[in-house]
Amino acid sequence: MQDHGSLVAVLNSTWFASGLEPGIQTRLAELSRTFTAEAGQELFREGDESEVFGVVIKGRVALRTLVPERGDFTILTVEPGDVYGWSAVVPPYRSTSTAVAIETLEAITFEGPALRAALREDAALAQALYPRILVAVARRLTATRVQLMDLFAAEEVRSW
Amino acid sequence: MPVTRSPRGGRPTIEGPGFLARADLQFLFDLLREDGRRLIGPTVADGAIIYDDISSVDELPRGWGDEQSPGRYRLRRRGDEQLFGYVVGPTAWKKWTFPALIPLTRSSHDGHKVSFEPEQTPPPKLAFLGVRACEIAALAVQDRVLIGSEFIDPDYMVRRANVMVVAVQCTTSASTCFCTSMGTGPEVTQGYDLLLTELDAGFLVDAGTPAGRLLLDRLPLRAASSAEQYGVAATVAAVRARIGDPIPADGLHDRLLAQLDHPRWAQVAERCITCGNCTLACPTCFCTTLSQTTDMSGLTALASRSWDSCFSPGFAKVAGGSFRARPRDRYRQWLTHKFATWWDQFGTSGCVGCGRCITWCPVGIDVRDELNAIAPPVPLSPESRLVEPVAATPNDFVTARVVNTKAETADTTTLTLTGVDPAFSHGSTGQFAMVALPGFPPLPISISRFLPDGIELTIRGAGPATKAMCALQLGDQVGLRGPLGNNWPLDRAVGRDLVIVTGGIGLAPLRPVLHAIVADRRRFGDVKLFYGARTPADLLYRDELDRWAKRDGIEVSLTVDRAGPDWAGRVGIVTHLFDQAAWDGTNMIAFVCGPERMMQATSTTLAGRGVSASRIHVTLERHMECGIGLCGHCQMGKYFVCRDGPVFSIAQLGDTFGREGI
Repeated sequence: MQDHGSLVAVLNSTWFASGLEPGIQTRLAELSRTFTAEAGQELFREGDESEVFGVVIKGRVALRTLVPERGDFTILTVEPGDVYGWSAVVPPYRSTSTAVAIETLEAITFEGPALRAALREDAALAQALYPRILVAVARRLTATRVQLMDLFAAEEVRSW
Repeated sequence: MPVTRSPRGGRPTIEGPGFLARADLQFLFDLLREDGRRLIGPTVADGAIIYDDISSVDELPRGWGDEQSPGRYRLRRRGDEQLFGYVVGPTAWKKWTFPALIPLTRSSHDGHKVSFEPEQTPPPKLAFLGVRACEIAALAVQDRVLIGSEFIDPDYMVRRANVMVVAVQCTTSASTCFCTSMGTGPEVTQGYDLLLTELDAGFLVDAGTPAGRLLLDRLPLRAASSAEQYGVAATVAAVRARIGDPIPADGLHDRLLAQLDHPRWAQVAERCITCGNCTLACPTCFCTTLSQTTDMSGLTALASRSWDSCFSPGFAKVAGGSFRARPRDRYRQWLTHKFATWWDQFGTSGCVGCGRCITWCPVGIDVRDELNAIAPPVPLSPESRLVEPVAATPNDFVTARVVNTKAETADTTTLTLTGVDPAFSHGSTGQFAMVALPGFPPLPISISRFLPDGIELTIRGAGPATKAMCALQLGDQVGLRGPLGNNWPLDRAVGRDLVIVTGGIGLAPLRPVLHAIVADRRRFGDVKLFYGARTPADLLYRDELDRWAKRDGIEVSLTVDRAGPDWAGRVGIVTHLFDQAAWDGTNMIAFVCGPERMMQATSTTLAGRGVSASRIHVTLERHMECGIGLCGHCQMGKYFVCRDGPVFSIAQLGDTFGREGI
């Protein structure tokens, strides 16, 4: 278990948590723990209750979705600095994809219920953290839209 | 048969240059003074050869030469009797044509009335003795600036009209000279009334104007021998050879203006003390400032004009502060004005290559080094030169034979063609060929590799014609026109970091760029390739991507839009490969090729990383039929993409890029 000071330093190295006020960072560090996973390890499964919100420090997490009869598709990878498990703080707290570490993973994680409780009780924490979560989700949303455009397809996809 | 003449009276006229004995030079002094002229010429003062009022040959720097290097000037004895055996010193002739301080306007209050009277100084009649080629060029530059357009400087005009120029050929040079690069010397060819070339025992004298001819005819000359004339030409040629070509000036304007963000500006500013010596010593600098002097009552005032310098802290100051607060801003302003924007304003360089700014810089900054570091000359290399296309017109084709086919992906094939006209192998990165099969419309296809005896084309079978091309077998022929279009500005990437962002088939026109970089890797800084594809199976040139990453020092980052579980790489969009990256794009040039939406998003992201619009280049895809700007299909705003592109900078495209319906 790392001490809070080094957790703060690690958090500060990610775009998601860098530049937050020291008090907020300390509060985040109190709520967080370091987490490692081997390549191939499943972190959560699509449809399950979201129990963890994580920030990737090292490694890569694939977000996958199962298409019946076509198998698992990776729709996005989460790279160092970015977050996974945002559904842990957004109702109905159900995972929207399956997350698998595809490289040895080092992350900082937050237990969903504890983080939600802290965000409810600590207005300053909520005020600092929600905009970052919104940026992370919005960035993912715009990327998903671009991927939906299927720009590299042989024929341009016509609007309908 | 030489004709000797006495200094006065009617004499036969000598054709061509005459010879004046050194002992007779005083005749010239006397004639000029008889003509009512003050004589300004070289003389030794304060340990330097300066220009000042002189009246006698004895005041000339007989036997003196000089040694000059950055920040250093020393007189030295030549060991001969030469009167003009030195190189330009700290004085510039503008001291008399454009004095450092002149009264301009006298103004006064009289009750409620104000009046302004121009202050006019009667111009002295002068003769400049010992004007060098670079200095004649400098006078011409100031003529252009101060009296060469609609608004003129009246003081300069009258002063200049009252100057007679007695030029002297350079028979020696300093280490700081670079007139050869600026095209101003060392040969004096124009702009003089009388021209002297110093030989061992005297001078060759030639006239350049009727006034000079009148003077020449009154000098005690004999005709110059052909040996003397030949000797002069050889001496000046030796000076030219000694100076060399320190600043390759071709394209300097564009090269320099493309480097406004170069880190060297900050580095040179660490040394520059912004003293302004360079601008004061410069024979073309013309910036001035006004100052007011009033009497004790404050009712009358005299406005005076004095030289100013763009290095002065207050030069670009307004109420809210200075636009060029940092030394690096002021140094950049000076250098880019002299060597680049002066061309835009006056149609000439602002530098004549006299080297004064180098010698008289107290910290020894050498503009030649700065220019070569900031905007280095680029050796002509295959990738920066465009060849004449073959079969340029749409009714003409040359043929080529397929010698290899490689299925890159399910729908994309690379054809290796040989038996191609040599123009194709000498084509340039980013160029395309019009490719034709009988019965199909010719299509523009990017050349994806240049080989000594052929080219490669990477074609995605998207329609009937491209599918037919992808289905070609060994030995089949195709028709070709090209190479057409412009190229990626690889020469601008030399010495810079290069970022290449591409998606899908867009890697094909950039593949020759990577080949060129790999072939000469040391010329480029960090090279990053960000490549996105639809799925892992759609990535082109997998073997080469591996080699570029593992062997050639290119940072290759791949991403795909979707992947199966066996793909351990990134999934997501190509801009997410670098939108959160830590790198700084201020010394970076970017080449981007992909669908237009992707290129827009990429250029926005790159701009956010400090890569300016003039350094982001994209290659556009438009409907093309002729490839030479005649059929009209590929028009985009003021450009024909085939003829003016396909490679454009974002700055060139302006707001037409990404605008709906253009």
